[in-house]
Amino acid sequence: MGEKVCVLGAGSTKYGKLNESIIEISLDASKDAIDSAGITPRDIKAGYISNVFGVTDRQVHMAPVIMSNLGIPDVPGLTIESACGSGSVMFREAYANVAAGFYDCVIALGVEKITHTGTAESTTLFSYCSDYFYEGGNGASFPGLFGSMARAYLATYKATEEDLAKIAVKNHENGFFNPKAHIRKKITVDDVLNSPVVASPLKLYDCCPFSDGASAVILCNEEFAKKSGKPYIEVIGSGRGASPAAVQSRKDITTIPSTVDAANQAYKMANLAPKDIDFVEVHDCFTIAELIDIEDLGFFPKGSGAQAIREGRTTLKGDIPVNPSGGLKSKGHPIGATGVGQVVEVFEQLTNKAGERTVKGAEIAMTHNFGATGASAAVHIFKKMN
Amino acid sequence: MSNVNLKKQSSREQFIEYAKTGKILINQCVKCNNLLLETMYYCNECFSNSFKQVSYTGTGKVVTFTIQSIAPEGFEDVNSYAWVVFKLDECRLNVSGFLPGISSPNDLPLGTPIKVIDFNDKHGLVLEKLKA
Ligand SMILES: [Zn+2]
Repeated sequence: MGEKVCVLGAGSTKYGKLNESIIEISLDASKDAIDSAGITPRDIKAGYISNVFGVTDRQVHMAPVIMSNLGIPDVPGLTIESACGSGSVMFREAYANVAAGFYDCVIALGVEKITHTGTAESTTLFSYCSDYFYEGGNGASFPGLFGSMARAYLATYKATEEDLAKIAVKNHENGFFNPKAHIRKKITVDDVLNSPVVASPLKLYDCCPFSDGASAVILCNEEFAKKSGKPYIEVIGSGRGASPAAVQSRKDITTIPSTVDAANQAYKMANLAPKDIDFVEVHDCFTIAELIDIEDLGFFPKGSGAQAIREGRTTLKGDIPVNPSGGLKSKGHPIGATGVGQVVEVFEQLTNKAGERTVKGAEIAMTHNFGATGASAAVHIFKKMN
Repeated sequence: MSNVNLKKQSSREQFIEYAKTGKILINQCVKCNNLLLETMYYCNECFSNSFKQVSYTGTGKVVTFTIQSIAPEGFEDVNSYAWVVFKLDECRLNVSGFLPGISSPNDLPLGTPIKVIDFNDKHGLVLEKLKA
């Protein structure tokens, strides 16, 4: 697979409602990542940026603007859009370019600004991420698409709305210890079950918030990482998958084919199995998504995810902690940034910077992020180095 | 199902024209007989693009659905509706659409028979619940 690729630095803004422009938050996260890697902008040979709704903050063609403000206007950049999966899909391209030997050091930055549009417009904008002719154009909102997947899952397997609520409770429990999280508030199963219905059977606390935020990481080859003398992690597995864009075209609505494919590629490349993963950051835009993810990623057999949740196996102290960061549910979901934010969490965990949410003894971690209802997905596996 | 003969239109326009009369227009692959919605340009089994157009009755059974409290733009004036995935009675394909007049999940048990009644600019593919 060419050069070994490492993550040498990582940074994030707080996720939530941010007042600064999309460019300012991009620069804030970039600076944190550059400082954390102990490099200067001159070391960066290319910029990879993920974003979906920059147009609402009056900025497209963001890469040159960001590179210029980092003092490196001569460095080529590229912006990538893949709905809610933009961050991981972009990370994969950054990874591939370093692995191929094109660059020894790049920045991968994900960013989103959406809260200024308000809930009504955000709901409309997100519906454009669906297969609009069959979904958004027939009245489906994003929560609605996942609501339909949840109803299909609950009708097929032994799982209940209370099981879904437990996922939200667990992620808020973890996010409480994340200073960058959008919603730092512990909640109970009753809070979830009594919250207003957003898209039946999903309720408000089954849904992640609309968030602003930016996350950035510095990717480099092994030689560059070793020379730096800084702690780093290595990307040991990378996979990408795709699914039919419309939910109606999936043979089984209770699984996401892109996740299964991407995970199998990443496991194969790393020569690892699900039992070797010490913790995972999964795409929990809605509680049902996390339930489907943990099965599709191979941690639990199909239909048994709810039982695993009831047994506490996905908590920080469980055998496979899921979303120690708080996940999209509590940490927040700035859609262009989310996939990169997961890598930031892995970097902090594996370089002893995660504080009270630390997964003790973790050495191997996975990130999983998808676009829309899983039409696109990427999975990465990381290993702690020195 | 019945064979059809259409004037020159885009695939979406043809799909819409048939949906307006309560039918779902389907491409049957000439090479492998696979059935695909009219809007597909290649067969996803054998990758041929040689199709015979066939219209199917737009009746089916609810596979899954949701009822939302906040809707995308253009759907605000509809007090309560379900977004529904349904399986066509005459073939294995699923289609999704807009079903007005549904305010509670109890109004729509999975398997409820429904039919296509229209396709309009405002709400897309419009469905109606049939008496069981
Ligand atoms: Zn065929």
